[in-house]
Amino acid sequence: MIEKRLAEEILGIALSGGGDFAEIYQELTQNGNIRMVDGKIEAIGDNVLSGVGIRTFIGTQTVYATTTDITREGLIRCAKSVAEAVGEVKGAVSLHLCERIFPNIHPVTTVPASAEMKHKIDLLKSACNTAKNYDQSIVQVAGNLLMVDHSILVANSEGLYTTDRHIRTRMAVNAVASNGHENQSGSCAPGRGMGLEVFDLFRPEDIGREAARQAVVNLNASYCPAGKMTVAIENGFGGVIFHEACGHSLEATSVAIGASQMAGKLGQMIANPKVTAIDDGTIPNGWGSVNIDDEGNPTKRNVLIENGVLKSYMVDRLGSRRMGLPMTGNSRRQGYEYEPTSRMTNTFIDNGPDKNEDIIASIEYGLYAKEMGGGSVNPLTGAFNFSVREGYIVRNGKICEAVRGASLIGTGSRIIKDIDMVGQNLATGQGMCGSSSGSVPTDVGQPLIRVSEITVGGR
Amino acid sequence: MELSRAKQIIFDAARAAGLEEYEIYYMNSSSLSAEALKDALSAFSCGSGGGISLRYMVNGKMGYASTELFTESELADLVRRACDNARYIEKEDTAPIFAGSESYATTNMPKFVPLSAAEAKAMTLDMQKQIYAAHEGVTDGTQAACISSEIEIYLCNSHGLELSNRAGLNGVYAMPIVKIGEESADAFAFALCSDEEKVAELAKKATDKAVLKIGAGSVPSGKTNIVLAGSEMRSILSVFSSAFSARNAQLGLSLLAGKEGQKIAADCVCITDDPMREGAPMQTHFDGEGVATYKKDIVKDGVLTTLLYDLTTAAKAGVASTGNGMRGSYASQVNVAPFNFSLCPGTLTEDELIAKAENGIYVTAVKGLHAGADATTGDFSIESEGFLIENGKKTTYVRSFTIAGNFFELLKNIDSLSDTVEWGIPGGFTVFGAPAALIKDMSVAGK
Repeated sequence: MIEKRLAEEILGIALSGGGDFAEIYQELTQNGNIRMVDGKIEAIGDNVLSGVGIRTFIGTQTVYATTTDITREGLIRCAKSVAEAVGEVKGAVSLHLCERIFPNIHPVTTVPASAEMKHKIDLLKSACNTAKNYDQSIVQVAGNLLMVDHSILVANSEGLYTTDRHIRTRMAVNAVASNGHENQSGSCAPGRGMGLEVFDLFRPEDIGREAARQAVVNLNASYCPAGKMTVAIENGFGGVIFHEACGHSLEATSVAIGASQMAGKLGQMIANPKVTAIDDGTIPNGWGSVNIDDEGNPTKRNVLIENGVLKSYMVDRLGSRRMGLPMTGNSRRQGYEYEPTSRMTNTFIDNGPDKNEDIIASIEYGLYAKEMGGGSVNPLTGAFNFSVREGYIVRNGKICEAVRGASLIGTGSRIIKDIDMVGQNLATGQGMCGSSSGSVPTDVGQPLIRVSEITVGGR
Repeated sequence: MELSRAKQIIFDAARAAGLEEYEIYYMNSSSLSAEALKDALSAFSCGSGGGISLRYMVNGKMGYASTELFTESELADLVRRACDNARYIEKEDTAPIFAGSESYATTNMPKFVPLSAAEAKAMTLDMQKQIYAAHEGVTDGTQAACISSEIEIYLCNSHGLELSNRAGLNGVYAMPIVKIGEESADAFAFALCSDEEKVAELAKKATDKAVLKIGAGSVPSGKTNIVLAGSEMRSILSVFSSAFSARNAQLGLSLLAGKEGQKIAADCVCITDDPMREGAPMQTHFDGEGVATYKKDIVKDGVLTTLLYDLTTAAKAGVASTGNGMRGSYASQVNVAPFNFSLCPGTLTEDELIAKAENGIYVTAVKGLHAGADATTGDFSIESEGFLIENGKKTTYVRSFTIAGNFFELLKNIDSLSDTVEWGIPGGFTVFGAPAALIKDMSVAGK
């Protein structure tokens, strides 16, 4: 990593064009990936990413430059290009950095890169073989074991010089069931900010079994009917509904420039009073947790909505300057190639007052979305969509036949008012969230909830 | 470090380790971009960087390793890492490191000159000005942006094959937000700088698009005729393009497996892949394995003529590679993917297509395809926006509805196609195109 002395020199040069703040972000990442398809280890990915991003601010304007040339000369060239893009270059600014060490709240027992390859392969095989043997209709299984070891350095002209290392591990199994003329798929992909000890929490066999079970359920399901319905959305990855419908609209990225449905609504009742929503980057070993964000601020537990009232946005440094609000430890980026922006970490709707059995019993006719897929949103209008990976029709308060191919659409401001029952089995699910600063790991979560009415896309 | 020096270090280490078949693949990207907000530049960024990977073949097993760290020790260590990884591979790769095609075509890309920082900044500010001037309702949050990016690729292997390519594009974006009364709407439009006509009308086109969304209505649930705009037909084609991969077919992940030579689509459907499409900014004369690329029909008059093959899948099927071994980045392993992949145009103008639909919806936006469409099953159920078609004419803008169906059924149900292919924004060397398509009796979920 860049030494403190050199960091001081680079920042001084970056500021020489007249910027009022400068920052260095360095990344060294080892990406490991083992892929098993068709019962065989097909590929082993082993990639080292290494580069630096240098950024300056002039008020709310930013200039950002990246390089993979991390020699002193390469870094100076990069810093000069930043200064030149800001304005007329004068003498380098002199500054002093003071090293800071933040506590590591995400301990790792077994660092994946140092474990025996055979052990990692056995874990993956165990999951894939269980999926393949689950049912004779399972025709194909693909499994991935993903291991990321990500070290960063952040130094800035306010005197900060700090480093962090973050390890995350995830296994994804995708199973395909076929009856000869139709395919249906199922998947399961748990992960944590942990090493291989994550598989003490999630047994590989259970991951494989769950993916296969879902594929078989879908193969035997009929198409979901279309129209407006009451929908119960299960816990875990069901939390993607808040992530898409509301979370993105609370990021300073869109709020600060007025491109969000939630802009100017702090302190207002924006959701059903049963809804309390939190973004918490401090959950030990959480999938979306980090010790410090990508601007070097420690992550926090931010209550976004409390009993229906909007309490906080998620704010990065640029957003803070634009909005006059404090930073919330939400600045994130995929890596050095991306300028950071405000992003979610572990975001969830907290447990509510309703009993889960009452929620299902309350639905005369509707949809029970047991497993959700991904989705997307337009933060300006709040129009969102997401897919249902496993769904069932609810009739007279009872969960009945499975249906497939459903999607849910609506607008964020409406759906958070229409969440009229909130259960008590809070759990999270893992996702990769894509936005302007790249793809970052985020946790979504909620207990079982009921949405009084939403458009279900089907046929 | 110079690329030639990096190659030398890796090849020396490979020879010293006794390796016989190996290949390096290098990719370097340079880019710059400018963004405007309100009446000023809000961001400028530039960067250049690359990485290199080593593929090593031993006893039918392929090992990979890659790095962005160009130091002597790291580059030499690629050999150890690739060898270590190859030991654990179980899949037999019947295709060895490639010795080379008989001949390679020449690309005919438009001349590319990267934008300077000053040009990018000026163009961005000018576009932002044009957006604000296009409509009085344009408001804060409106953004314009300009990008210039160039990719350089170099492939070299132990058979002495040495290939390189360099391609780039300059583009401009308009992203207006309009507010009329209490309602806001946004839109997005992109044009290549080389397409001066499109750049000139970009701000107005994007702003008109946003204004039309204000006061949108809704549609009832049921079955109706759908005209998918070229841009939306293209998005759907891109999501399901993986079904044309021989790799997915051989793994049982594509319902097109075993269908070569069979009718899979309506008579009017032709699909081609043309890596050196005339006028395309990103062209390549070799694929990620060094195989010469060429233009081919994938679907001809509704019949599947070929799937897309790389060397491994071609060897397994007993055919020749179609030159579609793709490496999305230097770190990616070889996959099968298209280059300039398009649904070919029909004969009707878009207005004639809409008239033919009589009543239904002209869909101008589909969203969330990464989640709402499944290439393995062909099923899709996707959020959409567009215009009602009433008595053969576009009328009210409508949103908050989904269209649902199955891609393989959709191919058979395409009634007719418009005469103009709309190409998308290239992602590396891959880009998709499609004309507008009329599909009868699709399922819609709305109010």
